Amino acid sequence: MRGADYIVKRVVFALLTVFVAITINFALFRLAPGSAVTNLARVPHATPETRLAIKRQFGLDKSKFQQYWIYLGQLFRGNLGVSFANSQPVATNLRTALINTIPMVLIGTVFAILLGTLTGVIAAWRRGTKAEGASVTTALAFYSMPTHWLGLMLVILFAGVLPTGGMSNEFLLNPSFSTHVKDLAEHIALPSLTLGLVLYGEYTLIVRSAMLETLGEDYILTARAKGFRAGAILRRHALRNAMLPIATLVALSLGYIVAGAILVETVFSWPGLGRAVYDAVLQRDYPMLQGAFLLLTISVVFFNLVADLLYFKLDPRITT
Amino acid sequence: MSSLLEVEGLNVWFDLEGERELHAVQGVGFALEPGERLGLVGESGCGKTTTVLGLLGLLPPSASVAGSVLLNGVDILAGGEESIRPHRWVDLAIVFQGAMNALNPVKTVGSQIVEVLELHERARGREARTRTSELLESVGIPADRAERFPHEFSGGMRQRAAIAMALACNPSVLIADEPTTALDVMVQAQILELLDSLCRDFGLALLLVTHDLPVVAELCDRAAVMYAGEIVEHGPVDALYHEPRHPYTRLLFAATPDLYGEGVPASIPGAPPRLDRPLVGCPFHTRCDRAFGRCTHERPLLRELEGSRSAACHLNDVVAEVV
Ligand SMILES: Nc1ncnc2c1ncn2[C@@H]1O[C@H](COP(=O)(O)OP(=O)(O)OP(=O)(O)O)[C@@H](O)[C@H]1O
Ligand SMILES: [Mg+2]
Repeated sequence: MRGADYIVKRVVFALLTVFVAITINFALFRLAPGSAVTNLARVPHATPETRLAIKRQFGLDKSKFQQYWIYLGQLFRGNLGVSFANSQPVATNLRTALINTIPMVLIGTVFAILLGTLTGVIAAWRRGTKAEGASVTTALAFYSMPTHWLGLMLVILFAGVLPTGGMSNEFLLNPSFSTHVKDLAEHIALPSLTLGLVLYGEYTLIVRSAMLETLGEDYILTARAKGFRAGAILRRHALRNAMLPIATLVALSLGYIVAGAILVETVFSWPGLGRAVYDAVLQRDYPMLQGAFLLLTISVVFFNLVADLLYFKLDPRITT
Repeated sequence: MSSLLEVEGLNVWFDLEGERELHAVQGVGFALEPGERLGLVGESGCGKTTTVLGLLGLLPPSASVAGSVLLNGVDILAGGEESIRPHRWVDLAIVFQGAMNALNPVKTVGSQIVEVLELHERARGREARTRTSELLESVGIPADRAERFPHEFSGGMRQRAAIAMALACNPSVLIADEPTTALDVMVQAQILELLDSLCRDFGLALLLVTHDLPVVAELCDRAAVMYAGEIVEHGPVDALYHEPRHPYTRLLFAATPDLYGEGVPASIPGAPPRLDRPLVGCPFHTRCDRAFGRCTHERPLLRELEGSRSAACHLNDVVAEVV
């Protein structure tokens, strides 16, 4: 079968990448200045005994190598440690944050992909017209807008119409299922929209250039000479081929969904992974950060793998 | 009686930057009878491909086209895209210059033949696949290769597949734009032989575009020589070879080594005129070894001469056998 080796090779490579990332991840945090104890103790004049006790409790008295070994062992068992900040298992914290993040970022990204593909295809197909100009200019404008600024503008614009912070209305007591969903949808609208608008411009530009390149190919001329209508050429030949770079881009950007959108989540107080990372940095919450980074690494590597395999599936020319 | 294909007064202008225009094809006309083979020859950039794309209505939006293309007496260009599309591939099929990329790399070769059979409702499903196998076999490609992708084919095979694809709907005219340029000599000969026998077997009229005169001499009945966007001489191949009536034709033949590799390939000194500004006099006068006063300011028109041929050269007005 074409590509059995290819798949095995890619998967092994992905696993190796994750392992290296874990190791770097571990090392990086030990290099950071300041110690958790100084922050954790929160007692200005803690006695050396207290400090030592805290160090012991968190295993910080052991050698770096021992710490690494223990870290790997625990990771293997799915134990990501306990948050310094709230003493909850990191895995639990991450799960909650991830569940909040995924729908918000997913809606935004899907919105961006659809809008970007549509406007990108129009720009390429209507090359040299006002439609192309409008599409590209708008895309560039949104692409270059700072996320938090756009978020704030939307807050100003929609304040009073849509909720501008949090994930749900805390004052709804025992809401019915439909009320709850409606409430969630209202809360998710602005952060998702902000993210979608910031992301879509890049898709427009990439889809446009991929389409333009494809439309200039000889086989498009062949398709026209065969007597296909414009629409059929777009569907049968142009889109299919322009899909190659686009599919890769989509798969890669899905990898960053897990990272959430730190800026968007901060502006809209969305209790997701981005916010969790932000808080963890402020509180020097090593285990939380390590866990979040691990999650991010795995998702990026995973979607990279997906992109590779997808490309392989779509393009028969790839053989190795 | 009208010809199978008749091109009259075809003009093509390309819009260039800064309101400039490039007059790439200047009043080209020729006719093709059923089963006839016409060679369209000329140096690179003289407008051969533009002529062919223009008569099929396939030029990019930056091009403006004037003139008429009559297919069995009916003007197919007049009604724009809608009037010409039904004739593409059904009546006029084309094998492109550099067919390396003329096939879509992410679709199997077979599926690209099947799609055109289905588009023009010649066959569908299993029947279309059977027909595809037959077509591939008729150009010497084993039928099981239909499931392969273009990159798995050699250059010659790809060109054969492109020819098979062109034959799918039994067109009456096959247009081949430099079908052998990118191929090595042995393969070139095979492809030409294939074209020759297919045209004979299917009774196809052939419009062969090339800058390779020996190829035209071998394959075609008549030839039209293009220079700077216009046809400067047109007639039976033998007559053109033995008795050229335009200095460019003579120099072009002289510039080509004969089939046995004898004779030194010479090149015609100088370069063709730029087509983005009006031409004064004969377009060829700057490179012509027989130019005289009149050539520098009066443009010669394509004029009918004896023996069903025509040429655009003032020398033909002076004395008959001078060129
Ligand atoms: N899309 C275009 N835009 C502007 N100018 C063009 C375009 N296509 C062709 N031309 C110009 O028109 C003229 C004729 O080009 P064409 O491709 O028809 O030549 P050709 O005889 O087929 O040459 P070759 O043997 O190299 O294929 C050239 O001067 C070329 O630069
Ligand atoms: Mg050409």
